Amino acid sequence: MVNINATLIAQILNFIVLLAVLAKFCYKPLLKVLDDRRNHIIKDLDSAEQTRLEAESLKAQYAKQLADAREEATAIVDKANKVGQKLHDDLVAQAQAEKEQMLKNATEHIEQEKQQALLDVRTQVVTLATQIAGKIVDQKLNGPEDQALIAKTADTVLDANK
Amino acid sequence: MGAADQASNEIIHYLPTVFQGVTINMQTMYMSWATMIIVILIVAAATSKRDLVPSGVQNIVEMFIEWLGGLMESNMGVEGRRLLTPFIITLFLYIFVGNEMGMLPNFGIHFTSPTNDINVALGLSIPVALLVYVIGIAKQGPAYFKHFIKPFAVFLPLNILEDLVRPVTMAARLFGNILAGEILLIVLNKLTPWIIPDLWIGFSLIIGFLQAFIFTMLTIVALSPVFKALHN
Repeated sequence: MVNINATLIAQILNFIVLLAVLAKFCYKPLLKVLDDRRNHIIKDLDSAEQTRLEAESLKAQYAKQLADAREEATAIVDKANKVGQKLHDDLVAQAQAEKEQMLKNATEHIEQEKQQALLDVRTQVVTLATQIAGKIVDQKLNGPEDQALIAKTADTVLDANK
Repeated sequence: MGAADQASNEIIHYLPTVFQGVTINMQTMYMSWATMIIVILIVAAATSKRDLVPSGVQNIVEMFIEWLGGLMESNMGVEGRRLLTPFIITLFLYIFVGNEMGMLPNFGIHFTSPTNDINVALGLSIPVALLVYVIGIAKQGPAYFKHFIKPFAVFLPLNILEDLVRPVTMAARLFGNILAGEILLIVLNKLTPWIIPDLWIGFSLIIGFLQAFIFTMLTIVALSPVFKALHN
């Protein structure tokens, strides 16, 4: 039953022939298909990964743009607020200044009017007093010395009445 | 008593025939050729219509190639897989189909497993043992022989023994399992014509697959140090 003979050699040849036939006609194409499929899948996965990365980068870009836009909007609103505030402050200051100017002008004007009125009153007082005194003493007191004397008197009266 | 007379007394008939002084077991040869044809037909059917998206037989064979490929890759690395896929798959398919041949019903043709002949089993295991050396020397040059004195020089006899014994044990395991299965089937058929032999056939089909897997796995394991040493 255990009888080693030339069948051994024949069998080795058989196997080599089988291997050669299969390797030439079947395995090469089959392994090529398996390789192709593997490469195809790897390529697909790579491409999917690529797409995912692109999408992520786009997303980040959009998020950045959104944040930028929001920041910009905030800045614009801030700026507008500041401008408005400044405008308001300026107007208020200007109004204040105008008010003060007007008050000052008015005060000056009033003072001037008052001075003028006093001057007028003094002149008329002097004239009247002179005329009255002239009538009283019945003589003309038109000399410069008389006038000065009367003015002095009138000033003294006015100052006392002030 | 000649070889032919001697064989006629046995349960299994190898039909030894003498060609110009060289004895060849013709039954074994016929069955070996039949196995080769079946293997070629299976692989051809699986690969004739090669689609990127597989279906049918191609799917099964590809699944099976991927399975063996995974075993090869985990033991021999990617390089070993690329180099030896055709050899390992052919080896497995040949032994598997050969083992199952003996379980076919004998209508007209007397089916036996080619692997029930120690010549066939040795004819598969000796090339494997030689292949280990061929690849080892091709990959590492004369340095390959250093593996005999690893891990220490003391292991030299053990290592030589291992390399010599391996093909013998592989062949004996395959041949013994298949031959015993066929002899038992014949005996059971003579004892009880129904059911029991059928159960044994079912079991033998599993053994046929198992022995093919064991032989293939041992081949991969025998080849793996060559590639592992290369990686280290």
